Amino acid sequence: MSFEYHEPAAVAEAVALGARFGEAGRFLAGGTDLIIQMRRGKVAPRHVLSLHRVPGLDRIEANGAITLGALVTHRAVERCADFQGPLGALVEGARVVGGHQIRNVATVGGNVVNASPAADVVPVLLTLDATVTCLGPDGERTLPLEGFLTGPGQTARRPGELLTAIRFERLPPASATAFLKAGRRRAMEISVVCVAARLTLDPARERCLAARITLGAVAPTTMRARAAERALEGRPLTDDVLREAGRLAAGECRPISDVRASARYRRLLVETLVPRALRRCRERIGGGA
Amino acid sequence: MSRLALSLRINGETHEVLTAPHRTLLDVLRDDLGLTGTKENCLEAECGVCTVLLDGRAVNACILLAAQCAGREVVTIEGLARGAELHPLQRAFVEHGAVQCGYCIPGMLLAAKAYLDEDGAPTEDGIREALAGNLCRCTGYQKIADAVLAAAAALRGSRAGGGGCTHP
Repeated sequence: MSFEYHEPAAVAEAVALGARFGEAGRFLAGGTDLIIQMRRGKVAPRHVLSLHRVPGLDRIEANGAITLGALVTHRAVERCADFQGPLGALVEGARVVGGHQIRNVATVGGNVVNASPAADVVPVLLTLDATVTCLGPDGERTLPLEGFLTGPGQTARRPGELLTAIRFERLPPASATAFLKAGRRRAMEISVVCVAARLTLDPARERCLAARITLGAVAPTTMRARAAERALEGRPLTDDVLREAGRLAAGECRPISDVRASARYRRLLVETLVPRALRRCRERIGGGA
Repeated sequence: MSRLALSLRINGETHEVLTAPHRTLLDVLRDDLGLTGTKENCLEAECGVCTVLLDGRAVNACILLAAQCAGREVVTIEGLARGAELHPLQRAFVEHGAVQCGYCIPGMLLAAKAYLDEDGAPTEDGIREALAGNLCRCTGYQKIADAVLAAAAALRGSRAGGGGCTHP
């Protein structure tokens, strides 16, 4: 590793440096991905722009819509009181990332920009229809998270652009979320498959008004299982309907075989975990079919 | 190659260090300052032997640039005991036979300290989760978990008896 080190003290300064160095520069947040990639020689930026002195980026704003600043850590998400209720899958996703040492520094913004298909909080954010805001030399733009993730390690972020915030709305009444992860052990593990779900029921809690089902580690990016979502919306959520969603999700995911698991096993996990996550949402809302 | 002049606060003392930007806190602790209690192993934040406290929170020194630590409070294993008086966690590890080869222990102790500072009345499950980022190949973890539970009880006792006085 050999690089020039910069410590911008404000967002505007960080963006100006980002614009100046373009592809030769990298923003450093928690460093749990970037420093390791640099040590392995996978990336070799000539300029490292540490963001830790930029004030305000570590804030979680929860007035109405929720905004996660780029430097909000997984530990902060895990401990945020606003995420104890219907948004609880954020806590469930954040708390299975590495150990305390990782979660104390690893940021959700960094996790999004790193764009691992096996990321754990990203599927939860996708169930919340989250957007990401990027600030660059051409100004600010806000994109749906789903479109921002373009491939393994690839995003729509332009060279020099800084991801400043992740935003999502609070959920309507009769909503709940759930996150499940399958790994070879419980801690310090990259997901073999992870699944997040969000359900919103009608006021009588009989029919599904909206469903989101997202899958990690079974496609080049974290993906939404749209056919499975459509199979739920407008219907009473019986166990049969939830199992059907699991079968559809297993059909529409695109897993590969790798060191962690075979593609076939990953599909079996999706078929099992999707209904399980949906049942958990249904139980958390209470009532229902 | 460029050099950075850093002022690092480690175990309550200020150290002036001149270092290349890519060097980690672990490099500077061990090679420049001779603080070799912080161990080096995987260099990818998987094993936890390099755990130190940064502003009170457990972090892996192997993936933290020294430059990122300037002006912040770092505590290493050398800063845990008060002079000759062991920290209650250290005493509990000795009393419970939680140490075998010892290589993982500095990191275990600091991860445990950060956790007990947050949660003074932990469960064994909570302790095991808090230490999930610290690998040990000797003990099987049971004695370590027992020691942390005992230290938590000892710390509660000293707080209750000492009129709110807490060990640093």
